[in-house]
This record gives sequence, structure tokens and C-alpha cells, in this order.
Amino acid sequence: MSELLQYIITGITVGMVYSLIALSFVLIWKSSGVANLALGQMVLVFSWFTYGMLVQAGLPLWLGLGLVVLFSLGMGWLIERAALRPLIAQPILSLIAVTLGMAFFIEGLVSFIWPRSVAALPRIFPEDVIHIGTAVVSQEYLWAAGISLLLFAVLSFYFKYSRMGIAMRATADDQLAVQACGVPVTRIFSRSWMFAAVLAAVGGVLMASIGGITHGLVETGLKSFSVVILGGLNSFLGAILAGPIIGLAENVGGGYLTPLTWPGVKEVIPFIIIVIVMFVKPYGLFGEERIERI
Amino acid sequence: MLKVNNIEVCYLNVIRVLHGISLSVADGSIVAVLGANGAGKSTTLKAISGLLKVEEGEVTDGSIDWDGVRIDNKSAEQIGKMGIVQALEGRRVFGHLTAEENLMVGAFNRNDRAEVKSDLEMVYTYFPRLKALKRNIAGYLSGGEQQMLVIGRAMMARPRLMMLDEPSLGLAPLMVEEIYDIIRRFNVEQKTSVLLVEQNVRVALGIAHSGYVMENGRIVLDGTADFLKNNEDVKEFYMGLSATGSKKSYRDVKHYKRRKRWL
Repeated sequence: MSELLQYIITGITVGMVYSLIALSFVLIWKSSGVANLALGQMVLVFSWFTYGMLVQAGLPLWLGLGLVVLFSLGMGWLIERAALRPLIAQPILSLIAVTLGMAFFIEGLVSFIWPRSVAALPRIFPEDVIHIGTAVVSQEYLWAAGISLLLFAVLSFYFKYSRMGIAMRATADDQLAVQACGVPVTRIFSRSWMFAAVLAAVGGVLMASIGGITHGLVETGLKSFSVVILGGLNSFLGAILAGPIIGLAENVGGGYLTPLTWPGVKEVIPFIIIVIVMFVKPYGLFGEERIERI
Repeated sequence: MLKVNNIEVCYLNVIRVLHGISLSVADGSIVAVLGANGAGKSTTLKAISGLLKVEEGEVTDGSIDWDGVRIDNKSAEQIGKMGIVQALEGRRVFGHLTAEENLMVGAFNRNDRAEVKSDLEMVYTYFPRLKALKRNIAGYLSGGEQQMLVIGRAMMARPRLMMLDEPSLGLAPLMVEEIYDIIRRFNVEQKTSVLLVEQNVRVALGIAHSGYVMENGRIVLDGTADFLKNNEDVKEFYMGLSATGSKKSYRDVKHYKRRKRWL
């Protein structure tokens, strides 16, 4: 029984970080309809950059993390400006292919600058563990979950009520019509990439402070794809709920099934769940359905 | 006052679709641009609103003046800020947004929050139906309601010139009449000029002060609405009336076509 509580808490909190990274994906999808396949690599490069700032340059925590945010803003801006803007009004598939190219580019860049394969970040959060009932949780997990929730709330409000947020959603619906309303779509795209990069950076720092910097961070990006597919490609709510579902399935299912089956079963369970959900709700749990009037 | 001086428009640098179009819209007037499919009506509007650049089109000759300022080299955003707004053809609402959010996107470039609120009410008085539907998802509205939403969205920009591209497209005659009545009232009450592109010649000339007839990228006829309404060629080719003014009957269909006098 005690292990169940442990599995649940770990599952939910790790899932929240998946959610956070998934939010980054949803943000870009919602405003421009582009699937950012370089997400995992962005998470990777930002956590390595954090390592560079905090360990290699030895900067204090506040300055280092501040620089990481600035760097991610700049990188998001640069990606949009250099790679995606020239392709505005081209078929969406070309844009997605460009993000795939970006993924390889970033990966190459990372192994060029940081040739080693693993590293650990210094402690960002307090060290002592917290006891919840019989379960023991280290503080990173709780911080990660809290930060994810906070960013989710901010983003949801921004998209629902702010002028820019509404315009971003409108842009996803009809790019030409939005320009006819005088909305500068280029500014919308660059802003959504900048925000998305910051989310990826926060997710990267959180994941790295939990599990260290490894190439596994790219797979975390992949896992957040399954989160968005489960939750619905354009739903923040879907992303924030689907993350813990995936996390729970992984940890609870994996925890109990591994002794009975084979060691890798943990990785497979989320995908089995996704397949089942896709049968019932093809747009994901909270995805927008394509509107067709007949 | 909008003045279009002899513009030529090319798409992709090779396909020339407008061969010297000139027209003017006086402040506070309604001007109709009439013509068949492919005449270049929508292209003319897009040249004015700056949306041409998005579609790889370019004004290669001539100029467009708005109150004496040249605007044919400005971006759609700048032109919008100068008070020209275009409602695109084909009821292009933002399908996943609510009706009210659609209207708010129309006011994107305005910073006078209080006035935007009162303009929202103004749009709702012109289109009472939209007020009842303001929380509905725009994609599920009926065709007429979507067209109202698109026009209301253009109104929200508080334009000095509103360009409407075929507002009657695909609507029932009663709905067309209702929408045209609202356009006319908006023009009279808010002093907004309207440049109207339309294939439905009868309703367009019903509210317009003057009009232009376009064919193959040229203007072939222009004049006041009354002049156009009584022109034999317009009647024959655009209103489906025979020379005597009565409805055409299949019994007296001729083997030859009447020649247009403007060719």
C-alpha cells in the first residue's frame, strides 16, 4: 500500500513537468498550426545552457537562471525569424519539416559545445525531503508541479482574455483574415515562439534538476508529444491533465507490472493508453474538433 | 477620399490581372464595383488594403492615394491603422472563437478601451442577432450570421473606409436585403465610406451612390447608380433584363448575343 502512494505522487509530479513541456508545444500549435518537432532538443539545449551558466561559468543562481530565460527568449525569436518566417504562407508540412531540421541542428550544436554526455546541475531547490503520509518526496518534484500549474494558469488566462492571446487563436484559424483585421502575424509568431522557448527552458531546468542532464531529455520531449496527443493538440487544459495521466500510468502501471512482466514495460503503458483514447476520441481528450457545418 | 490611379497588378511577377484601374471613393459615399468572376474585383480591393503582398501580388504601376498619402507601398497593418479595413470574401470568421471574440479581434489595433466597449454595443444594435449569439462558437453560426459577424468585425476597427467583398455570397434573398439595409444605415449614421464588390448588381446598385463595371481587369463603364441601373448593357448582361425592361423569357432567347457596346 505504501508504494502505491509513492507511485501516485511521483507519477503526478513528473507528469506535471511533461505537461509543462507539452504546454510549449500547444502554444505554438495554437497560434500557428505548426508542430514543433524540435521540442525535445530545445529542452536539451536549454538545460545544457543552464549547466554552462551555473557550473562552467560559476554564476550565482539568480543571475544564471535569469540568463537562461533571456537566452531562451532570444533563441525562440531567432528560430522564428531565421527558419520559419521565410516560410510564411507555404504549406504547413514544409514548416514542420523545418522544425525537424532544427532538431538535428540543435542536437549537433549541443554535442559540439558540450561533448560530454551527462552532467548534473547544482541544487536549485532545498535538499530535505517531504513526507506525505507514508511516501517520501524530494522537493524538486513538488516545485516542478507547482511551477507547471502556475504557468498553466497564466497561459490560460492570457489566451482567453488578453487581446494578443485572442489574436493568437484567431491567427491559428485564418491567417489571411487576421491580417485583414490589421493584426501583425509576424509579431504573433515570434512572440509565441519566444514564450514556447521559455516554457521549454523551464521544463528543461526542472527535468535536469530531478534527473540530471542526459540525452534522455530529448525523450522527455517525445513523451510530451504523447501528452499533447492524449490531451488534444490545442488545449492547455488537455495538456495539463494528460501529463499526470501519462505520469501515473507510467509509474503506477510500471511499478506493479515490471516484476510480473519485463523491465521496459513502464515505457510502453502510456502509449497503450493513448491508442485506446484515440479510438474513442480522435481529437484527444480536450482537443478542438474540426468544425464542419453540413 | 480614396483615389486609385491607373494601377496594374501582377501576381508572381508574371500574371498581370489588372490593366490600369482607376477609381475613387468620396468621403461618406457608397461605391460599388461590379463584374463577373475573374474580372479583378477582389484583386482591386486587396491592392488597396495591402493584402496583395501576402498573396505574392504586387502593384507594378500607378498609385493608390488615401487622403493624399500614397499607400500602395505600405503593409496591411499600416493601412489598417490609417482607417481602411477589408472584410474578405466568403465569410471568413475565426471558427473556433466565440462571436464576441471575433469582434474583438477586429478592434486589435485600437487602444481606446472604453470606446471599443461602446462600439461593441454599436455593432450589437446594428446586428441584434449577434448579441444573442455572442457566446456561441462562430464556426457553428449560420451563413447569414457569419456574414454579419464579418461585417461587424470590420465595423469594430472604426474604419473610415470599409471594403466589403461580396457580402451577398450564398445568402438567401431576405438575408441579403437585411444585410444591405444595415450597410446603408451604417454608412448614413457613422459617415463611413463603403467600397462594395458585388455580383448581385441589383442589390448593390440599390444602395450605392456610384459604381464601376469591371471586365478582364479593366473598368469598362462607370457612373452614378441611376445611370448604371438604366444602362442597356448593364441591364442585359448583369441584371438579366431584356431591352424593354421586363424579365427575360426563354421564349424569345435569340441565337445571337447582343453585343456589348463598351467593347
